[in-house]
Amino acid sequence: MTETAGVVAIGWPQLVLSAGFMVLVGIISIRLSLGIEKDLAIATVRTYLQLFLLGLTLRWVFGVDSPWLVLALMLLMIVMAARTILKRAPDAPPGIFGSSVISMGLTGFIVTFAVTGLVVQVEPWYRAQYVIPIAGMVLGNSMTGIALALERVFADLDGRAEELVALVALGATPWEAASPSVRKAISAALIPTINSMAAAGIVFIPGMMTGQILAGADPLAASAYQIVVMLMVAAATAIGSVVAVMLTFRRRFSPDGVYLEKGIRDDEHALADGSGSI
Amino acid sequence: MSGTLLEARDLRFVRRGDAGPLKVLDGARLTVARGEVVDISGPSGAGKTTLLRALALMQPGVSGELLLGGRSAAEVGPREWRVRVALLPQKPVVFPGDVRANLRAPWQLKVRADERVPDDDELRAALDRVGLAEVALDREAVRLSVGQAARVALVRVMLTAPDVLLLDEPDAALDADSAEQVAQLTAKFAKDGAVVRVRHQRPDGVHARRLRLSAGRLHGVGDSD
Repeated sequence: MTETAGVVAIGWPQLVLSAGFMVLVGIISIRLSLGIEKDLAIATVRTYLQLFLLGLTLRWVFGVDSPWLVLALMLLMIVMAARTILKRAPDAPPGIFGSSVISMGLTGFIVTFAVTGLVVQVEPWYRAQYVIPIAGMVLGNSMTGIALALERVFADLDGRAEELVALVALGATPWEAASPSVRKAISAALIPTINSMAAAGIVFIPGMMTGQILAGADPLAASAYQIVVMLMVAAATAIGSVVAVMLTFRRRFSPDGVYLEKGIRDDEHALADGSGSI
Repeated sequence: MSGTLLEARDLRFVRRGDAGPLKVLDGARLTVARGEVVDISGPSGAGKTTLLRALALMQPGVSGELLLGGRSAAEVGPREWRVRVALLPQKPVVFPGDVRANLRAPWQLKVRADERVPDDDELRAALDRVGLAEVALDREAVRLSVGQAARVALVRVMLTAPDVLLLDEPDAALDADSAEQVAQLTAKFAKDGAVVRVRHQRPDGVHARRLRLSAGRLHGVGDSD
């Protein structure tokens, strides 16, 4: 084991050893017919490959030290996150990719640069060593929140379909009809974040703080960082899910405000003969 | 035609059927005069509900022309149209909260922001008229029976005083006595407005013009008493 600047470096033997535990889990899976050994193997290999690739990429990015590269990387992260959101909210109406990108981008850029510029005050503003990891945390968490909010809002709307039809028939606007579902979805998206804020430091040591402590940082300095990041992540989740839901719920209504129930949605295909609307 | 309240011309609607596109409405036309009750019957799946929804501007993709008191749907605007031409869906819907909140729900909407909200006495009287005297205003709406919920939903829409009431099988969930009360209330409502009902049950004593929907069009089949 080698120690540089308080960090105990992990070498090949340790990396192989940690895989040994996965082999053990694989044997258990085979013995108990859990059927997860294949997924486990793939996931393990992916962990090695992806994280090493990430390490190499970041090393390169830090070396190049270009603001354009940092921004391009953030953009790529946003697009990938938006794709993940689409996969996690399969019942969402078509065409929400753009809204996901907008809401991720908005929160990603605002919150990341609020942390790096105003709180950490990095010089220069685009310093990849700070911007990329913080952007990753902000985007990762707001992605989870947005996906949860979108999944919830459209599931809840469909669950209330009859109520929505009755409300629209009484003259409700899409917002008036949908707002209870919108509120529910946004709170649902925030609950995991609020829970983890409440449990932080008591039930678990948050990931970033763990990392900093392992890397030899002073625990108090690490906790200060963690506080900033947690609050910013909470803000990112909140802003991201609000923006995403507000941008998308209207897509479940026709232009003149009718809720598009499951049956009506299917009929849309039959209407492609160009017959006009009243 | 004088006294025409609601007019629908050349309504067309195509739905995806199991064997290709299905013309649910194929040039349907309908004229409803003030003071009239129109009953629409027809085989299951003929598009009766689709027609009612189309009349309420609630069936996206329908083409044709709709007029209310001579004004086109575009002139009136979708929200105002639905306030004037009120659809009561077949399946009774109660909103979260008690019966009072349910009856007042229409006045929670922006479209009625300038209107006076009915007070408890008015709500009480309206419930009594449909045989719901035993239902308290603060009863949780989810605890209503299907038949009670159907009448609460009917009272709710009648209190909003639309010009035309579109009722989709209003007595399907009701026993004979309640159906009788609803029929009387419907007839009374039609004195000042008009009612279009989807019904295929026996005549209920309400004088109505009877139409039959088949092959996407409406055909007259005489009057009922």
